[in-house]
Amino acid sequence: MNRKTIFYFTSSYPTHEQLLKFISSVDGEVVKYVELGLPSMNPLYDGPSIRKTHSDALRNFHFSHLAEYGSILTRKGVRPYLLAYYNDFAQRGERMLDDLADAGFAGLLIPDLLIDHADVAQSIIASVQKKLEFIPFFNPATPDAIVSRISGMTRSWVYYGLQPSTGIEIPYDLAEVSSRIRELLPSREVNFGFGIRNLDQVREIMSLGSDGVAIGTMIIPMLTGHDLEAFLKFQHELGEVAVA
Amino acid sequence: MFIYDTLMPINMLSSQEKELIPENWYNVVPDLPEQLPPPIDNEAERSSIELLNRILPKEVLRQEFTFQRYMKIPDDIREIYEQIGRPTPLVRARGLEQFLDYSGKIYFKYEGATVTGSHKINTAIPQAIYAAKEGVQKVVTETGAGQWGTATSVAASFAGIKAKIFMVRISYQQKPLRKKIMELYGGTVSPSPSDETRFGRNLLKDNPDHPGSLGIGIGEAVEYALDHDLRYLVGSVFNSVLTHQSIIGLETEKQLEIAGEEPDVLIGCVGGGSNFGGFSFPLIKKFKEVEVIASTAAEVPKFSHGEYKYDYVDTARILPSVKMYSLGADFVPEKIYAGGLRYHGAAPSLSMLVKTGRVATRDEDENHVIQALKIFSKTQGIVAAPESGHALASAIDYVRKHKHEKKTVVVNVSGHGLLDLSIFRDDK
Repeated sequence: MNRKTIFYFTSSYPTHEQLLKFISSVDGEVVKYVELGLPSMNPLYDGPSIRKTHSDALRNFHFSHLAEYGSILTRKGVRPYLLAYYNDFAQRGERMLDDLADAGFAGLLIPDLLIDHADVAQSIIASVQKKLEFIPFFNPATPDAIVSRISGMTRSWVYYGLQPSTGIEIPYDLAEVSSRIRELLPSREVNFGFGIRNLDQVREIMSLGSDGVAIGTMIIPMLTGHDLEAFLKFQHELGEVAVA
Repeated sequence: MFIYDTLMPINMLSSQEKELIPENWYNVVPDLPEQLPPPIDNEAERSSIELLNRILPKEVLRQEFTFQRYMKIPDDIREIYEQIGRPTPLVRARGLEQFLDYSGKIYFKYEGATVTGSHKINTAIPQAIYAAKEGVQKVVTETGAGQWGTATSVAASFAGIKAKIFMVRISYQQKPLRKKIMELYGGTVSPSPSDETRFGRNLLKDNPDHPGSLGIGIGEAVEYALDHDLRYLVGSVFNSVLTHQSIIGLETEKQLEIAGEEPDVLIGCVGGGSNFGGFSFPLIKKFKEVEVIASTAAEVPKFSHGEYKYDYVDTARILPSVKMYSLGADFVPEKIYAGGLRYHGAAPSLSMLVKTGRVATRDEDENHVIQALKIFSKTQGIVAAPESGHALASAIDYVRKHKHEKKTVVVNVSGHGLLDLSIFRDDK
């Protein structure tokens, strides 16, 4: 199996019905994980495109939607994960973990936990791991000591955000930021995301030792335009890159 | 009366020893105790972070977001560092030790020995060179006391490009010689707030005598850069700037090694945090137990009265917000003598080290600072910059309180004050 792709969708965007169509079209031969974003009032570390999906999705979202997405994906052999900002997670409390486990979700990713809520990180990770995988979210600014400590507390794959925000274009040294995380975590599954803009970049990231690539902002225009055909074509192209 | 003891062994570790100039800059971010909060956008619909592509030289932006622990200093920049007086001396402050009757040792790293008389040139040079290599014809920035504008003007001249400087209005009025020097180096200087930007015009409409602030100056410079497709040079706060300034601490580390010393205490002053971070971060990495003190102006008490929060870097709210200790982007400080310290925030990395308790802070008031400057000039012959006077005031205070302990105190003197003599007016 050579599945390298991770898709990110904001739950219930553009509508629940439309997203169901996209999720039903996810190809289990290409896609290994799907991250579903819990719509947030303040998606601090997302760029303008994903921020807009959050504000739109808040109008449509119902927690039961997640169970529907989870059920479709698990039947395809694609593992679903929830991405939730800390305040949204804390508001729902730990009962959300049971609900997610019941809905077939494999794990939880909290992108701002280590950044803005480091004081509670250890206890949150421990309680998540009683029910689900906890996916550490690191980026090039994560200190070595934090990478080691949090990796040691968890067993899952690692999400490595290449830049400070999703879907934006800034220059940084991809080879340098890739080699640092690979040196720190030589035998861990590390998937790269944040600001991946085209298939050439996906190829480059794969050549630099990433175990997978998370794609979010690139598929938003397809979702917004209800363009399932474009999505299928893009997914096919991604499959070819990943296999190559 | 203080009498200088002339029977001194080696006291000045300098200088003309080019191997003391490090080959790499040091970036503290991978070694911070906690994850550095990233910059965030100010508005929902557009990305202030992405806007940086049109504001900063591309290489500066690359350095800002790559977070490489050690970054090679390009050969051409290293050569210019030699030309502008690097390595700067690390001096055993024998005169000050005697005056204070101190049982330990005091060293000071003297950034006033660079051609522009402050540490600011350490980052102005790489930024201007990067801008010129990208084909930019003119760079723009703000200046408070004038040191940063002076450094930018020289660096632009070295790089063969022009410089436009927005100088905080109160400093512009009080320091005509600073303006003259910037012009001598080829810079064009405007008082800020100015009528050359929308932001400046709005402020002047409300208050024609607005004294300005660094936050306002940054806002005007960034707006001007965007409107004229120029590049903005960053004087402080940004991580890439602190990385360039690490040359101060890395040289100090080698000089202390030659002297056979290990520091017990590091003291520096903080405006935005660049001289302090550049000086102390490499030494904090090397000497795990070293005590570290950041000295700020009591009139701009960002650490003692500010809040650790996401806040705007510039008063015009154009640059991305960063998490830092801040008095608020609209804070207009008193018209104090140390223009370089009139900034509402402090670099995110330094702010985190203060928040976690690794770096202690002190607020120093004007009288205390002026007394410290007088003592330092009489005992060491150096008229330090008013900003650096805060570090000296904290150092003198520290030594007096620990008089009988044989500690090694190292102070960063970020610049000279030969163009700031007006602060000694009224025989203060």
